[in-house]
Amino acid sequence: MMTTRFQIILIVGIVLMLLLILNMIRKRKLELKYSLEWLIVLVLLLIIACVPETLTKVASTLGIYSPVNMIFFLGFVFALIIIFVLTVTVSRLSARIRRLAQIVAMLNSYMGEPIEDDLKEKIEKEVKEIVSDKLK
Amino acid sequence: MKMLAIIPAHNERESIIFTVEDIKKNAPDFDYVIINDCSTDNTMDICRYQGYNVLNLPINLGIGGAVQTGYLYAYRNGYDIAVQFDGDGQHKAEYLNDMAKCLIDNQLDMVIGSRFIDNAGFQSTWIRRLGIRYFTAMIKILSGKTITDPTSGMRMCNRKTIEMFANEYPRDYPEPESTMRLIRHKRKIAEVPVEMRDRQGGVSFISPLVSVYYMIKVTLAILIERMR
Repeated sequence: MMTTRFQIILIVGIVLMLLLILNMIRKRKLELKYSLEWLIVLVLLLIIACVPETLTKVASTLGIYSPVNMIFFLGFVFALIIIFVLTVTVSRLSARIRRLAQIVAMLNSYMGEPIEDDLKEKIEKEVKEIVSDKLK
Repeated sequence: MKMLAIIPAHNERESIIFTVEDIKKNAPDFDYVIINDCSTDNTMDICRYQGYNVLNLPINLGIGGAVQTGYLYAYRNGYDIAVQFDGDGQHKAEYLNDMAKCLIDNQLDMVIGSRFIDNAGFQSTWIRRLGIRYFTAMIKILSGKTITDPTSGMRMCNRKTIEMFANEYPRDYPEPESTMRLIRHKRKIAEVPVEMRDRQGGVSFISPLVSVYYMIKVTLAILIERMR
């Protein structure tokens, strides 16, 4: 089903990916919580690369003709699931950011405190123009 | 009775003074707070020059998030009544007293200032009125209640509703959806006839393409709200 050469390339590639992700977690660039799914997938791929026969077996158990079809199908489903989970995460994050911004706004309030003199000079003329426009 | 006018402002340099002075003069019983939603013009400087009360949002949240900031402020500072009042000069402060009277006398949860009871004042374009009629019909079918101006941004709430909106408020185009939400919670809503002006400056955010998105999004939001 695949040549030994390709098998070795595959295994090396997967192991490199695994090390990369683990290293990023170690350096706190990735959160373990969100990278767990990637680690699981890579481990599964590693098993398949080492023992390609498992693929044929799983495919025939699921009733799929060729293992290649199964790879495409499962890969697509997996990608969709990850994107969906990300959408859920984005929704939650944006709700949190919104509340955070609102609380910051309340701390960052101006209740009629005097302004700096240089700003005052800059804005005075403009305010007068706006006010006289409205009075017309 | 502590009363607050919530003024969401995004790039309203030409109309913000006009709006605040209108409230100070014609509805002096109301405190006011401006929510500066990350204006890119110098709205903020003008407010500070004038010595107005401003909450300054660090990131742009859109109209829903800005108004909710006001409700949160009203809730935390013990206000009994809060009213949304547009920063672009469309709303007239002289009607705030009528609305407050209606809210208190009838013990309502929300009073909406409606342009379409007396059909007086600025009536918006016919295509917008058509859109508003559509939402009126939709709310009528789904809840049996008639709201003549479901998109009106001039809405006054009691403390109970302030708390509800402070906790949960739609992100954009919030008015029809949150009205439906109040009806679903069996809150008492009434409308008071008001006149509005055309905007005093700035541009509306609703362009033709955006309005298609608006109609679809709000329709869905109302339907989902009905299913909750």
